Amino acid sequence: MFNFREELKRYDYSFFGICSAIFIIGILNLYSATHSQGIGPEEGLYKNQIVWFILSWVIGIGISFIQPKNFYRLAYPSYLISVIMLAMVLVVGHSALGGQRWIGFGSLKFQPSEITKIGMVLVLSRWYSKASPEQEIGFRELIIPFIMTFIPAIMIIIQPDLGTGMLVFLIFFIITFYRKLKWKTIAIIALFGMIGATVVYNFGLRDYQKKRITTFMDPEFDAKGSGYNAIQSKIAIGSGQFFGKGFRRSSQGALNYLPENHTDFIFAIFNEEHGFVGSVFLIALYLTLFYRLLWLASNVNKIFDSVVVVGVLAIFFCHTMINMSMVSGLMPIVGVPLPLMSYGGSNLLTFGICCGIVTSISNARNLF
Amino acid sequence: MFGEDDLVRSHQERADIILNIIVISFALLLARLWYLQIYHGKMFFNYSLENRLRKDVVRAPRGMIFSRNNVLLTHNVPRFDAIITPQYLEGDSETIGYLAKVLETTPDSIIKILKKYQGQAKYIPVVVKKNISRREVAILETESSKLPGVSVETFISREYTDKDSGAHLLGYISEISQEKIPRFRDRDKYDYKQGDFIGQGGIELQYDLEIRGQDGYQFMEVDARGRARRHVTSDDLYSGIDNKAAEPGKNVRLTIDRDVQLAAYHALEGKDGAAVAVDIESGEVIAMVSLPGYDPSNFSTGLSSNYWGQLVMDEKRPLRDRTIQEHYSPGSTFKPLTAIAALEEGIVNENTKVVCNGGYRMGGRVFHCWKKEGHGVVDVLRALKESCDVYFYSIGNKIDIDVLYKYATLFGMGQRLGIVLPRETKGLIPNKEWKKEQTGIEWQKGETLSCVIGQSFVNVTPIQLAMFYATIANEGKLWRPHVVKEVFSNSGQVLKRFEPELIHQFQIKRKTLDLVHEALFDTANSQGGTAGGSKGVGIQMAAKTGTAQVISFSADKIFNKCENQEYKYRNNGLFAAYAPAGNPKIAVSVVVEHGCHGASAGGPVAKAIISAYMNKYYPAYQKKIMAQENAKMTWTQIQEDNRLNPVPMVMENDTKDYYDETGKLIRSFTLEKGGQVQAGPLE
Repeated sequence: MFNFREELKRYDYSFFGICSAIFIIGILNLYSATHSQGIGPEEGLYKNQIVWFILSWVIGIGISFIQPKNFYRLAYPSYLISVIMLAMVLVVGHSALGGQRWIGFGSLKFQPSEITKIGMVLVLSRWYSKASPEQEIGFRELIIPFIMTFIPAIMIIIQPDLGTGMLVFLIFFIITFYRKLKWKTIAIIALFGMIGATVVYNFGLRDYQKKRITTFMDPEFDAKGSGYNAIQSKIAIGSGQFFGKGFRRSSQGALNYLPENHTDFIFAIFNEEHGFVGSVFLIALYLTLFYRLLWLASNVNKIFDSVVVVGVLAIFFCHTMINMSMVSGLMPIVGVPLPLMSYGGSNLLTFGICCGIVTSISNARNLF
Repeated sequence: MFGEDDLVRSHQERADIILNIIVISFALLLARLWYLQIYHGKMFFNYSLENRLRKDVVRAPRGMIFSRNNVLLTHNVPRFDAIITPQYLEGDSETIGYLAKVLETTPDSIIKILKKYQGQAKYIPVVVKKNISRREVAILETESSKLPGVSVETFISREYTDKDSGAHLLGYISEISQEKIPRFRDRDKYDYKQGDFIGQGGIELQYDLEIRGQDGYQFMEVDARGRARRHVTSDDLYSGIDNKAAEPGKNVRLTIDRDVQLAAYHALEGKDGAAVAVDIESGEVIAMVSLPGYDPSNFSTGLSSNYWGQLVMDEKRPLRDRTIQEHYSPGSTFKPLTAIAALEEGIVNENTKVVCNGGYRMGGRVFHCWKKEGHGVVDVLRALKESCDVYFYSIGNKIDIDVLYKYATLFGMGQRLGIVLPRETKGLIPNKEWKKEQTGIEWQKGETLSCVIGQSFVNVTPIQLAMFYATIANEGKLWRPHVVKEVFSNSGQVLKRFEPELIHQFQIKRKTLDLVHEALFDTANSQGGTAGGSKGVGIQMAAKTGTAQVISFSADKIFNKCENQEYKYRNNGLFAAYAPAGNPKIAVSVVVEHGCHGASAGGPVAKAIISAYMNKYYPAYQKKIMAQENAKMTWTQIQEDNRLNPVPMVMENDTKDYYDETGKLIRSFTLEKGGQVQAGPLE
């Protein structure tokens, strides 16, 4: 029944391969960002990261051997577990950086909002593949998927973590778009979205969230305050020039100008040290990954699998694009990590699981 | 599950759109990166350099002040403040608790300080404790990991060797106030910055621009928390870095002799008043002391923030330099001036005699002599020696106030003498014009009678009084008093030298001079002289005492014992002298506020000054003085002795100090009756 040799023969190494390549760049970069200071509490973080990576990859590889039909079965339970964990965060969570985003299992701290994205993708894929998959999606068909998204998303937003909350909506939108959301519906949503955004900005946002947005508009306005990160990040990237300053030669990060340089701003350090050439190389790697995912989505046999792959693509892409955009000053600073590069266990685990799921789907495709 | 394949395939269009979106997004991102890294790369690269560099001010070491014999009177001492940068303060209560323990204070008081500065930007450091000990510095530096946001700041305080003994003369320094910066920049053409210390009062103020030097700057590599990592020079990887070395301040050598200054200070200690000693042949000020004083070191060590406030509120006004900024009725010390004017103008001569019976009647008013029972028949010599008021009243009756004014002005009174120190006051010598201008009332004859004995409108500063006696001693040369000998660089090169400057010279008849010199000698050296009691061993001075009322008493109270009066109503005691009488070198004036009697209050101070000066500079001449004293020579005999057996007044070369760094007397020169100089430690 389970021929291990056969399994390995048709095993799709591409996702773990590309992701590992990005991760190796990431770990070197993390080492550089945290180690060149020679002092401080961040030294040695790269070791934790490697541990998390190994853990995530073991879990991911394990998952890759699960048959895709089991993901279909697991969709509701995983979604439910995500929502429960989000509820736990709100009740007993740890606070960090003004937000309550963590829950702890012993000494391990864990950010459920990361895992939620996977639960979301599974449950939406299941819903879309089951409920009249031939039809295009209009408002009527949107109601239930929207509620499914809204519940965890709002729980994340009130943590408060606006970035991840919006990300969840964005993933929802991409999946739905792929599942043939009507253009008319898109136009109406866009219109109401703009009106809604205005209202939310004026009444719904906390001060620091508002400040982040105004700062984005004019970072020099408050150079030592909330515009500081944006400016320093731009300086870091720009100062890399064509070839970069070289490995472990980042001055912005090393001298602590760039806060959170090992998490959200890791891309800035990478750019500073490796310049435009480095960025092109890194982006090419991500692009290869996304292209491969899209190809897979169009070449599987089951609509559920296809939507799941697009969902995974959405998770990867949204993180990558938002992070790179905010770091290079194209977007407000919202605190979204760069997949496989930023320090952080929860998001590594997320991406490991994602890799496992798509590999499993890819492997199953070769069966037929 | 057939057919589902096609279903998946039907999503190809949407997949293509998503791919396009992804590609376009990355294209945009790459365009952005190109814009930042290539198009503006150079600019951001320079930003990143500037970012890590901080231009630190390198404070120029303040120039030093030396005594005339090169004893260092000032010190630049490094001191430390504990500061908190609120931006980096973490684990507030824990950190503050620990900091409080280290600084031996309470967390509440630190929180109170932080609260005070809550309004300002969080990256501006707040001083939590000034002038912390070396131990505290060591703890804060080694335990810095437990104290995020806490750091130690170094500053240079200005401290003074002899504390308050030279407070007014040397002045002090304190931080420039924010609102004065623009005005001072215009005034001095000097780029004052916030946090600069500037001279306040005395030499520190007057020579501030010379002493302060020019600050430089030094580029420093820092991290985002502003923590310095290392100094940067242009040969590092930074090109075009231009550090500027600080230009040290210039040094000032005073005319002040530290020993004489300390002698004056210790003699006057515990009293309020002033003492001035000048070199009669150059106008160099040898000592000038004003009391009560203050410790000028306190202003820059930050020991007490309200120290200045206390001084300002003190009704004795300790910040005022009484030697030049305060004037006093000279009382009887003024009488030589009246005598000289009267002798020169022919109003009296050496034979003019007046009967003193304790009072002088003029226009229905009785002017009292200080001696109730009167002096009997007095001539000008005795009138000066015994300070007979009635004799001078009789002069006052004849002399015109404008004539008196003319002579007083010749001797430097009633005008600024131009000593290069801040806020010298003029004092006051009245004349008719002045009276009319001030009050609109014509001069009253009776007022002259008060003026001739140095009361009423007549007011002189201690420095004027000293210069007056110096001019008597040098027979008509009024020098400009000065306290600075030279300004010199750290390499010892003299940049400015202040030569003695003669304000004017005038002729006084030989006969007048002889008379006054003899009278002043007798006052201090013969029986019945008012300063006779002040005569110390080996001190051959010519002197005059003065007792000046600070308020008008009714006739019955005048003769009450001064010591029984309330302190602030007691008479001022004055003492003016020059020495040695036979061959004068130094002139001294002493004012003791509410000291009651010139002789008992001021005499010992003058004696201490003259003794310190003569024993230090003219020990050889002292022997002759001792011999003359032992032979009980009169004024005429001394003149004769000096003429027949001249002793050149050779300055002693050894100008070692009597006092150690702490101001303790380590060597004392006392003259015994036998004429032996006793030099030895004092217990």
